[in-house]
Amino acid sequence: MKKLSELEKDAEGVIASVNGDARFISRITSIGLTPGCHVTVIKNEKNRPLLVYSRDTMIALNKAECAQIEVEGGKKA
Amino acid sequence: MTDKNETVIALLGQPNSGKSTLFNALTGLRQHVGNWPGKTVEKKEGRFTHNGKEYLVADLPGTYSLSANSDEEMITRDYIASGKADVVCILADSSQLERSLYMLADYAGITVPCFLVLNMSDVAADQGKKVDASALEKKLGIPVVLLSAPNTKAYDGFYSALERAVKDKTSLNAEALEKRFEELDTYRNIKSMIPENVIPSYSATWLATKAVEKDAPVIAKIKAALPDGARSSFEAAVDAVDKGVVFTGERKFAWIDELLEGTVNTKKTKVSLGKFDRLITHHIWGKPVVVLTIVLGLIASFIPALPFMGIGQAIGKLPDPLNEALLNIGCPAFLAAIICDVILRCLSFIIQMLGFVFGVTLVFGLLEEIGVMARISYVFDNTMAKFGLQGKSVMPFLISFGCTMGGAAGTRVIDNWGQKVLTIALAWAVPCGAAWAVIPMLSTVFFGAWTPVIIVVILLVMILHMWLTAKVFGRSLVKVEDRQGMIMELPPYHKPKWGSLLRYVFGRTKDTFLRAMKVVVLVAFVFWLLSYTSTGTITDSILYKVGTFIEPVTKIFGLGWQTFMAFIASSLGKEGALGVLSTIFTGSGTISVGSMVSGTTAANINELLVANVSKPEALALIFAMTFNMPCIVALAATYQETHSVKWTARIALYYTGVALLLAGIAYYVGLLIW
Repeated sequence: MKKLSELEKDAEGVIASVNGDARFISRITSIGLTPGCHVTVIKNEKNRPLLVYSRDTMIALNKAECAQIEVEGGKKA
Repeated sequence: MTDKNETVIALLGQPNSGKSTLFNALTGLRQHVGNWPGKTVEKKEGRFTHNGKEYLVADLPGTYSLSANSDEEMITRDYIASGKADVVCILADSSQLERSLYMLADYAGITVPCFLVLNMSDVAADQGKKVDASALEKKLGIPVVLLSAPNTKAYDGFYSALERAVKDKTSLNAEALEKRFEELDTYRNIKSMIPENVIPSYSATWLATKAVEKDAPVIAKIKAALPDGARSSFEAAVDAVDKGVVFTGERKFAWIDELLEGTVNTKKTKVSLGKFDRLITHHIWGKPVVVLTIVLGLIASFIPALPFMGIGQAIGKLPDPLNEALLNIGCPAFLAAIICDVILRCLSFIIQMLGFVFGVTLVFGLLEEIGVMARISYVFDNTMAKFGLQGKSVMPFLISFGCTMGGAAGTRVIDNWGQKVLTIALAWAVPCGAAWAVIPMLSTVFFGAWTPVIIVVILLVMILHMWLTAKVFGRSLVKVEDRQGMIMELPPYHKPKWGSLLRYVFGRTKDTFLRAMKVVVLVAFVFWLLSYTSTGTITDSILYKVGTFIEPVTKIFGLGWQTFMAFIASSLGKEGALGVLSTIFTGSGTISVGSMVSGTTAANINELLVANVSKPEALALIFAMTFNMPCIVALAATYQETHSVKWTARIALYYTGVALLLAGIAYYVGLLIW
């Protein structure tokens, strides 16, 4: 199990759990990142939001907050 | 229905679902923009007629769901519950249905009639996706229509879906989703306790889902509706749920996947960033590319601005000959002065500036529609978050180096009202093109080779000023609990549709013109009254009398009455300050709005300045002018964008105060040096 924020570029995985305050969970759910959902990391660079692709959508995520998302797998494709 | 017998449509959709494009296409120029009562959220309403029927469109705030985490979401929910809407039009992005149908899933259980618009059908088609709207219609029990909102020629499907939804009062069939919720014991338990009619048109299913999601307002409503004895067991049932949002979210997406099975054909393609995306998101090149993009956009803005500037300048040539002509035919001097000096000069000034607003709205509206603004937001998110702003705010700041009014117009792409107002408030601190034309020149006259140092200090003060202003206004405009890290989709690039974009740009420009004209003429008229003399010498004007009377106070800030006049004039237009000083020191003519905005100066202005103003006073004046209110047109544009008299006045007073304060500091520093 890895944190989403630790995944390298091109890594793929399946979300295992989402943690954090109610507001964050609600927001992250509404953009489609729920447990069981497949994600691909498009870009992960210092001082920039993380770029992931999931449910047909490119999503930019603040790094501090996506440390609260755990991912199963996470190997480079 | 409204009391005027209009059918009310509420537009509901996530940001980037093309909601505003649809709203603009439907209502055209028949729009009214204001704020929701007591809230810092923009309220947009518009009207249109179709088949002889009148419709009122309420553009609900763009939200990602119907939870209770922000003012936007609460307003949206309360509006739907209020029963004001006859029908709710739910939008989703056809190219990203898997994600964007979440709003529909969150709506399930609300009994207000609705229909579904699958927007951006052109993008989906380009991606090779085929969506079977009629199959979805059967599953959902509501009209479903594919639409490309910018293509206003193909709206027949939309109108017929709307009419069917209104006539048949179609409500969303949520049985399949309910079944999925029923898998959870706590959900069944909570649902069994919910009494009738807690919130009209919100079913027990919807209420139970929200209770599972720990939605505080819904829980409070249910508790209030329960008899005393039942409350504690309800509370216990709610407490027993852990991470309910995740649970219901999973079910909602599973329901969406089931809906899409057999209704959408997708060619699975491997995702990667395009060439431009790779460049703009690059960790080193990203920021320079964004700055370059904005600067090029700024330059491009001048092209559509040129005709306006030409017209404005032509009007600016009229006052002198017209004044003479009016006097010749026996028109009273003061009336001629009002027509020529106040109205015509203001018109000339505004039209020139308006060209810039037109250009900026067009170019940056285009960048927004294509999808470039979202990338800019991504690149500058970390930097702008320090001010409590989104990454897009970098664009108005950069535009403000050219023109603050353009910067204010540029904030239209910021979808959060509080962040928009805060961005404008900070953009005022950025010295505009007019300041850059005046300040280095003034500074060279007094300080010669030290000018670059002064400019560097000005830039440093600017950053400090912005930081301070963000602290002062930030807390009330962007609440701390609303400040969260970026969670945003980067939409796919869209081809722009010129027709709807131009219609929107012309509409906004017309609005800005009308509002700016009102504010500018009013302020200019007051100023003209204060400076008007029948004798033609400035010492007879009210302005002079007030100026000399309060001189002991302005002296504290290092401003004598002459430079204080220049300071006041610079709040109408920076170029005017020199004209005013010129008038005062040569003792010829009156200060007028004309001299204020055209900035005509005497040939020997440099010698006059050095002879009459000491170095510390000059330094004080430079800072007072640079950080003063940018100009009256910027003030009017601020009012136009924020539609809040309160905030416009607050920002203007704050800037006047801070400018005087900075002048005072500069003055005393100057006294120490010289």
